Amino acid sequence: MSENYEPNIVAFLCNWCSYAGADLAGTSRVHYPANIQVIRVMCSGRVNPLYVMNALQQGADGVLISGCHPGDCHYMEGNFYARRRMGMLKDLMEFVGVDPKRFHMSWVSASEGHKWKEVVEKTVEEAREAGPFEGFRRRQIDW
Amino acid sequence: MDLEQLRKTAAEVVVREDVKYLIGWKQGSYGYRVAPVFVEDASGAAELLFSPLCTANLATYLTLVEKTPLPRGQEADKRKVALLVKGCDSRAVTQLIVEHGINRDQVIVVGCPCPGVVDTEKLAEKYPEQGKPAEVEWNGENFVLLCDDKETELPRDQFLAEKCRLCRHPNPVISDITVGEPVEPWTLADDNGVEEIEGKNLEERQAYWEEQFSKCIRCYSCRNVCPLCYCQDCILDRLNPTWVNRAVNFSENTAFNIARAFHLAGRCIECGECERVCPANIPLGKLNRKMAREVRDKYGFEPGVDPEAEPFQASFKPDDPEDFIL
Ligand code: SF4
Ligand code: SF4
Ligand code: SF4
Repeated sequence: MSENYEPNIVAFLCNWCSYAGADLAGTSRVHYPANIQVIRVMCSGRVNPLYVMNALQQGADGVLISGCHPGDCHYMEGNFYARRRMGMLKDLMEFVGVDPKRFHMSWVSASEGHKWKEVVEKTVEEAREAGPFEGFRRRQIDW
Repeated sequence: MDLEQLRKTAAEVVVREDVKYLIGWKQGSYGYRVAPVFVEDASGAAELLFSPLCTANLATYLTLVEKTPLPRGQEADKRKVALLVKGCDSRAVTQLIVEHGINRDQVIVVGCPCPGVVDTEKLAEKYPEQGKPAEVEWNGENFVLLCDDKETELPRDQFLAEKCRLCRHPNPVISDITVGEPVEPWTLADDNGVEEIEGKNLEERQAYWEEQFSKCIRCYSCRNVCPLCYCQDCILDRLNPTWVNRAVNFSENTAFNIARAFHLAGRCIECGECERVCPANIPLGKLNRKMAREVRDKYGFEPGVDPEAEPFQASFKPDDPEDFIL
């Protein structure tokens, strides 16, 4: 791993809480690592496990999924489904040898700009420890 | 297992007005093959077989029937389908009912309590398959192979299929008619192959699965044979968006295998069919058992035992574990 390795993190944020939370962090000028690429989804329950797989295949070194706190979901219960599914996915990926440090999930509400910063810092730090993801990255075909 | 009784019961079922056909097993064309058979009249029932070679899970056929649009004015055939099931197959039927894949009142479950089936691969290794069909029967604890008028005793601990070593429900969990006496559940083998992998570190696991997944030829047999992989619009066949590329390489194979295992988490009833049919001998059962164990231990759910249950991935409990959440 080179000295100045910067991990690539893909973050799936729910429209109603975490995306607004990240936005708040921005408007309040909270500094957080710039390794995060945000993809806005309507609900954390909308995140298909294949999003995570695809992100890792296509160049992400870590994935973050963030939604509203349990009980605060805009769609009442989407994040409960997400929690169950992503918990399973994490176990499965760990079982096939993907470092659990590459996969995080968090609850960040629209008013938690500072929590967002902490979450990102932790995600980036752990992904940095895990190093560049080689695993099942899609390789360019050399014809 | 009393075959006469099975055939008699089956004959009584198929002649019923409200029954379309009965799906069962019959002797295959050679060696240890057993073929599925669709019995439509009483005479066909004479072919039926239930022996330690009847590994296949016939519940797959319940959802395989193509539902073509009906010509105007024509009534749909609402007759029931009868099905022979072992313990594991009955769990597949139950899970299908839970998911509304089939309606309970459209199937007649003919339960056959199952003392365990043989691993035909191991059997063929020791006693090579011949051009003509051979028979295997249960004999107390063990199996006997009947071939060329010779009887060979097959010790249970050598030839019992892996899924049966780990089987918790040898007696059908649902059945309308039961043929034969319930069997006494046995002590499970403690080696399920999962802990062995969990004992490895991340690099070793990665190496292990890289070797396994790289062998996959993406024939999708594992999907097609699975009684619970019946999505009409499977994510693997989708081109727009293409969720899983069709290229056969380690990256796409991993995405595919994870997707398959994930889609079956909390649904797989561990009938072992996927692993049995895989031409590349990928230990799919280990993935399935790993997920089944997590679902059982962490979420207290076991698929395919309660027809009234909520589907695992389409439900939640407010206190599901969330120790992994930041
Ligand atoms: S995934 Fe395999 S073991 Fe599980 S239900 Fe399907 S065929 Fe059976
Ligand atoms: S792999 Fe997934 S999408 Fe395809 S049939 Fe199985 S459960 Fe359905
Ligand atoms: S049956 Fe085996 S080789 Fe075929 S797609 Fe499934 S895992 Fe791959």
